[in-house]
Amino acid sequence: MLELRQVSFAYPQFTAVRDISLTVEPGEFTAIVGKNGSGKTTLTRLMMSLLKPSHGQILLNGQDTKKLLPADLATTIGYVFQNPDRQILRDTVEQEIAYGPQQLGFSPDRQQKNVQMAMEVCGLAELAQAYPRSLSKGCKQRLAIASVLALEPQMLILDEPTSGQDATDKDKMMKLLADLNNQGLTIILVTHDMEILMQYAQRVIVLNAGNMVFDGTPNDLFMDNNPIAAWGLQVPTILHLSQKLAKYGIPATNSADRLCQSLLGPMEDKQL
Amino acid sequence: MRRYAPLTKLILTIIISIWAILFDSPAILAGVAGLQLLLLAITRVSTTVYKGILGLVMFALMLAVMQYLFGATISLALVTGLRMLNMTLIFIIMLASTRISDITAALVKQCRIPSDYAFMFTAALRFIPDFLEESKAVREAQSCRGYSSRGNAFKRMKSYLTVVEPLVLRAVTKSETMAMSLELRGFGSQRQQASLAHVALHGRDYILISLTTLVTLALIINKLQPIGF
Repeated sequence: MLELRQVSFAYPQFTAVRDISLTVEPGEFTAIVGKNGSGKTTLTRLMMSLLKPSHGQILLNGQDTKKLLPADLATTIGYVFQNPDRQILRDTVEQEIAYGPQQLGFSPDRQQKNVQMAMEVCGLAELAQAYPRSLSKGCKQRLAIASVLALEPQMLILDEPTSGQDATDKDKMMKLLADLNNQGLTIILVTHDMEILMQYAQRVIVLNAGNMVFDGTPNDLFMDNNPIAAWGLQVPTILHLSQKLAKYGIPATNSADRLCQSLLGPMEDKQL
Repeated sequence: MRRYAPLTKLILTIIISIWAILFDSPAILAGVAGLQLLLLAITRVSTTVYKGILGLVMFALMLAVMQYLFGATISLALVTGLRMLNMTLIFIIMLASTRISDITAALVKQCRIPSDYAFMFTAALRFIPDFLEESKAVREAQSCRGYSSRGNAFKRMKSYLTVVEPLVLRAVTKSETMAMSLELRGFGSQRQQASLAHVALHGRDYILISLTTLVTLALIINKLQPIGF
């Protein structure tokens, strides 16, 4: 469990995070959203101890992280950066994944087992001997996830893992995260993609100018009269269409399949 | 210092470096360093520059202490530290008070250095902060996978190798991207012109160059035929 108590953080020029308190329970799939510069990345960096709070306290499984280094948290939290190139340093995918367990002194058996598991889970088994830098952006991002999964974390924090990826890679990435979450891994995802948020997240945290302005479900975020445009967000296309059709008696939904069924169902019935 | 032309500051950098070699009295070298700090205060630079200078002073002190510990006299140890400080201080003053593009223009138009080489020099200078930023980002990425800079110096040096490789590869990629971007924006074109607007010499530049050159010549003559200076 990760708990933030009245956490604030200020850079020399401005305050990036202001008085945020929240708890992330095991097994949650949480999305953090907000405008550029709203404090999303700073908040996740505080969670990973890459930054230390100016005020407040961060507790990981009850322990204050103030005096801990990111390396100390690596077996509990897996942090995946937006740019996977910064962490690649070995010549094969397999060696790259093994780097973390080696650094942390895992036994050779445990290393091998974890590397195999991480490659299989992330769909990289066939690329075990490939040169990591020559992989596509999507594969590199999955490699970055595999590299932290090999450390057996309880939680994954991902900073915009789908940015710059094509639809297929994006889909693969999100299915992987959903599977990991179903297996009990806590996921914290920084994203700008409202479709992803609507489809996968159970909880949404909205940041605006360093303040936490919303904490609830995706449905509550878009269904209530929240000033989402002012927060730099957009209603997902399906939900927007569905809301427009609601006045014609079509039930509001955030699912494309359900909307199609509501619209086309009567026609299909007639045809039958 | 901002009012002086880039060429004047380049010449001053060379002259002060020569002074640092010619003087062998700790008191005079400390005086030159003090003069440079005064120049810096007049130039009004950002606090980051002062932080960098504090680091330089610490390094100069460390250098002097190391010299002393390895058998040099106190005077020689101080001279070594102060020489290093003087040579680097003037370089920092020049960089803090001159636009990189003006240095390039001065090197090309006034020093007649081929534009490719002048650009390489200034691009390397411009890369330093980017490189430091990138180094920090790579270290953070590795620390999230268990890399730690704790332990003795040897252990730390060995573990730092894991940061160097991605850093070098990213720097190479970045320089390739930069080269392509420059070509796309006309770098190397026959019609390319460097602006002389900010680099032309004025009266004050000639006075400063003449005075400092005269002092340097006097110092060199004194070194060759000592007359007690």
